[in-house]
Amino acid sequence: MKQQKFDIDHICALANLKLSEEEKARLEPQLVKIVEWVNKLEELELDLTQGEVYTPISFPLPLREDEVQPSISSEDALSNSPDTGGKFIKVPKVIEEK
Amino acid sequence: MSLTSLSVSELCALIEKKEVKAEESVLSFLEKIREQEKKISAFLLVLEEEALARAREIDRKKEKGRLAGIPVAIKDNILTRGTRTTCASRILGNFIPPYNATVVERLEKEDAVIIGKTNMDEFAMGSSTENSGFFITKNPWDLRRVPGGSSGGSAAAVATEEAPASLGSDTGGSVRQPAAFCGVVGLKPTYSRVSRFGLVAYASSLDQIGPLTRTVEDCALLLQVIAGQDGRDSTLSSQAVPDYLKEMREGLRSIKAGYLKEDVVKAIDPEVKQLYLYVLGLLEEMGAELLEMDFPSWEYALACYYLIAPSEASSNLARYDGVRYGFRHPSAESLKEMYLSTRTEGFGPEVKRRILLGTFALSSGYYDAYYLKAAKTRSLICREFKEAFKKVDFILTPTTPEPAFLIGAKEDPIAMYLSDVFTVTANLAGIPAISIPVGLSKQGLPIGLQLLADYFQESLLFKLAFLLEKKVKFKKNLKRKEE
Repeated sequence: MKQQKFDIDHICALANLKLSEEEKARLEPQLVKIVEWVNKLEELELDLTQGEVYTPISFPLPLREDEVQPSISSEDALSNSPDTGGKFIKVPKVIEEK
Repeated sequence: MSLTSLSVSELCALIEKKEVKAEESVLSFLEKIREQEKKISAFLLVLEEEALARAREIDRKKEKGRLAGIPVAIKDNILTRGTRTTCASRILGNFIPPYNATVVERLEKEDAVIIGKTNMDEFAMGSSTENSGFFITKNPWDLRRVPGGSSGGSAAAVATEEAPASLGSDTGGSVRQPAAFCGVVGLKPTYSRVSRFGLVAYASSLDQIGPLTRTVEDCALLLQVIAGQDGRDSTLSSQAVPDYLKEMREGLRSIKAGYLKEDVVKAIDPEVKQLYLYVLGLLEEMGAELLEMDFPSWEYALACYYLIAPSEASSNLARYDGVRYGFRHPSAESLKEMYLSTRTEGFGPEVKRRILLGTFALSSGYYDAYYLKAAKTRSLICREFKEAFKKVDFILTPTTPEPAFLIGAKEDPIAMYLSDVFTVTANLAGIPAISIPVGLSKQGLPIGLQLLADYFQESLLFKLAFLLEKKVKFKKNLKRKEE
């Protein structure tokens, strides 16, 4: 199962990153090398179709009482947004004109 | 003796007996910060006025908390209400949190004083603090070297006596490795022991907040204050938090400890290995039963970690899009363009590398071969630890394969990742681990020993670390270089 094709343009598109040609030229060979390095796991013969997959906690999730508690104000919640208007966050236009 | 050289518990005692005021305590540390920061650059932000005001308030209180007047430095990925929290990233350069992390609330409830926010690798991604988006922190023992990372600022601040204690976060060794490099004590608690509410998420199944201090006792004290349920982190365990200090002092009737096989430690720095063997010898003298451990999956841990952590990071860091907080690229004309240019300009190179690696490991066609395989490997590592802890109470390893390295020495990302070889396993398995300083290299650089124990056995770690601390008599005074 040797899969190490690393299509940097495709991955950048999925990750919402737009690298300059220079940055791409620097990062791509590094990433290819890292992927080759993690391919070490191929040596381990593991059944991927069954058996346990790790979960970080083994106990049932404790639930607290569902009590109404004060939360942060909308003013506070909006205070870090780069652009707001009233109780809304402003962003560049989403819908394109025909 | 200056106040800054005292441990947390010594300083607490003086303040309780009213021999020292909280204000005097804070003033001494602020002065130390002024003197040290020119060289060290451990802090992104020093809260001079706020800390002094808080100290005066504490001095006026009749009933004081357990940490009254104790300055604590906080890693800059832990939210502090009204105080800039950046994760050392340009993308959060102007972020002012509207709420406190649980650990900050807990410290303040006990009247500790938050003295500043410490430098780190951007979003905790790194092992040297060189990935900070702002500046590099220097190792207090040798200014040409790194303090380790990602909690490098927190470790350096404690080593230079700029603070008696600090908090860091540990995802793959980010508390223990800088603690080892700076000659201080650092603990990664059991996953689910300390609330992650208000810790900026890097890899949520691995992240855990832990204290950095100059003594084991102080480490136990800090954990006592920050551990336990808060109703805001659903992964927290409901297990009662023991009285760590009391249990630590009870000592151990017998010590059963495992050590790593020769082939696992063969490639490490000879001085680190020598010191590791020296401590094993000490333990034998103390009557410990030592067992050679076989961890067949140990050699896969790093590869496993560098798939799991970036995968989770790629998902966690999707939230930085310039909409609700942080930096927004000013010139974007469409929403999509805004996302792209904000993220591309806001993140540094290591963060981009990890986002891209994680996105790849989770992407269609590669998920099974990379992410799923890593998740299964993680179960294997866990199983091996569970088996090991049926035979022994502790596992001992060096904390790092070498002492602090020179700034700029590890430009190759993989070379940097190899620094985490002994620390990632505890995060992958979710078990607790502590690093204590055990000696100096010939060049005068601190070397750490790591102790690992079973889930929720922090008390055991403190017990053995406390005994070893007394045996090794680590020289805490820094070897000052003539500048």
